[in-house]
Amino acid sequence: MPLGAVCVLEREIDGVVALQLCGTLTTLILICLAEGFQRSAYMGLAVVSAAVTWIGGLVFARFFGRYLP
Amino acid sequence: MTNVVVDVLLGLAVAAELVCCLGVVVMRTTADRLHYAGAGTTLGPLFVLVALLLREGFAAPGLQAVAAVGLLFVSGPLVVHALARAIRRIDVGTLEPLPEDEAP
Repeated sequence: MPLGAVCVLEREIDGVVALQLCGTLTTLILICLAEGFQRSAYMGLAVVSAAVTWIGGLVFARFFGRYLP
Repeated sequence: MTNVVVDVLLGLAVAAELVCCLGVVVMRTTADRLHYAGAGTTLGPLFVLVALLLREGFAAPGLQAVAAVGLLFVSGPLVVHALARAIRRIDVGTLEPLPEDEAP
């Protein structure tokens, strides 16, 4: 919720920074859920989340740096 | 004994991530926020990984967690660097050093 407030209320690039931390938190939460429910197959979702967070951050940084005033 | 260590490590991970979230919310400049977002990809995931390896060992879930946290470790600084370049380009307009940036 606090990071969502940063995304909504602050500048766009601040929202990207908050979104990056959200991705990291999502990955950690997925790891903990997979371990907590004893479903090792779900651990792959955390790997995918980490990779998507990486790619998304790079894409946002590229386009925001180029097109924002 | 192992359960206590795992609990402590998970508590440390939650505390580290809470500090990072608080930093992103409270700090005023984008660069300061980026520092905290970058820190969130290092300490918290490391604590979670060590806790999980203590509990599971190097079985399949542990190795997949190593892959996920390893990706976070490698990708975190790369994305922080790219975002810092974007912030500099937005705020200053160029990546080149300005005359006032030069050391006297």
